[in-house]
Amino acid sequence: MLEVEIVKARRDFVVEVALRLAPGQRCAIFGASGAGKSTVLSCIAGFEVPDRGRIGFAGRCLFPPPMPLYERRLGYLAQRDLLFPHLSVAQNVCFGLRAPDEAARKWLGELKERLELAPIWEARAHHISGGQARRVAMARMLAPRPELVLLDEPFAGMDWATVSDLLTALMQWHRQLNFSLLAVDHRSAILRRLCPQALVMEQGRIVQRGAWEELAAAPATPLLARLLASADLSSAPESAPAR
Amino acid sequence: MPARWWPRLLMVLFALALLYPLAGLMAPVGSWRWDGEVPGSTAAAVRVSLMLTALALLIDVVLGTPVACYLARCRGAELMMWEGVVLIPVLMPPLAMGLLLATAYGPRTAIGAILMRLGVPTANSPTAFVATQVYVSIGYYIVTARAALAAVPRDLQDIAGLLGAKPNETFRRVTLPMARLGLAAAVSIAWLRALGEFGAVIVTAYYPAGMPVQLWINLQNAGLPAVMPLLVIFLITALPLPWLIHTLAQDRLAQEH
Repeated sequence: MLEVEIVKARRDFVVEVALRLAPGQRCAIFGASGAGKSTVLSCIAGFEVPDRGRIGFAGRCLFPPPMPLYERRLGYLAQRDLLFPHLSVAQNVCFGLRAPDEAARKWLGELKERLELAPIWEARAHHISGGQARRVAMARMLAPRPELVLLDEPFAGMDWATVSDLLTALMQWHRQLNFSLLAVDHRSAILRRLCPQALVMEQGRIVQRGAWEELAAAPATPLLARLLASADLSSAPESAPAR
Repeated sequence: MPARWWPRLLMVLFALALLYPLAGLMAPVGSWRWDGEVPGSTAAAVRVSLMLTALALLIDVVLGTPVACYLARCRGAELMMWEGVVLIPVLMPPLAMGLLLATAYGPRTAIGAILMRLGVPTANSPTAFVATQVYVSIGYYIVTARAALAAVPRDLQDIAGLLGAKPNETFRRVTLPMARLGLAAAVSIAWLRALGEFGAVIVTAYYPAGMPVQLWINLQNAGLPAVMPLLVIFLITALPLPWLIHTLAQDRLAQEH
């Protein structure tokens, strides 16, 4: 169980969020750019320290005091690939594995095959394309089998076909590993594929929570209504053919 | 292309002017002297310089790297303050540094007397030589190393942590390899600075004479003909390491981009 209750002052407003996520549950944080969504993920991941509150996950206290990053055992995927440029793709993917056993090697093989990493497996990370880098980053995040996955707009700038393929793979692995998933994006079309329910954030606060149908039926704010309406007008990954 | 030739010509002229002092190696100074005390004193100076500079460099790296790491994480006023402290020995005229070291650590000072009683003479000794080299070079090492370490994106170090790497492992597997070229530059700059130091060393450690001081002694005692052989050796020992590191770094950078 992930339990978050944090306050974090930003330059323009205060982020004040409380949320709970059961094991294996998937939840989206939706809102316009700059609403404070990424701040919430950063605090959970440990990149930022909340001003006050508490964060607990799987019976462990992540804050306060801030638990060291290396003890958090969670996966984080961001807009930027953040691959280690001096390492090969294989070294990047295996970075978080300590003495991989047979099961881990089998799991690596599955990631490698599903994400089509074999042709670039030995390549240096700085020699691969942006789309390939995103796949490598996903494989690296999933390789240690995290219990909690945080997605901070990792599909930004990608074409729908690729996004759809990655979403399909991610959902397949979610069923397999049963990790909890917290995803942030400003595009509801992507979040709808990933998560059955969402928290809506505006100016650092959660203004509504519920299933997507409930949000669409009665949006709590005019901004949310506009965001959902614009998402309906745009091309959605659901319509793209999955590989 | 007509617009290309004149910048290149200017570059050639600039390079010629820059390298012109090397023509001094072929200056008509008379026959180079390699007799009497010259071979022995030259060999001793080379040995002193290389061994003690290597020791000073090791101290620079061992003491300077943690400081550079700390400064790479500092921000704002604290960074300005510590950088100011580190820059003082960098910006200080070498002769002034030598005089200050002599007055601060000399045998007649309290610290100097204590060290002398412990069998560590603080003037005209290998200890004084190495300490002076460390004082004049460590600032260069720290400033350059800090820039190299600060250039490693914090995000990557955070991701390494999230993947289970403890801070020392993150440093070894991510920070150090990514900063290696800058750290190599820091080492080569510190090496050059320490090996070539004259103004401070001549005050604190006239003996054992390293190459710069021995060059001065040869010049005083026997003139340019006795200086030239040691000068050539000095250039051969001082230049290859930084030149090689710089060339390798450029080559590696070209490969990576």
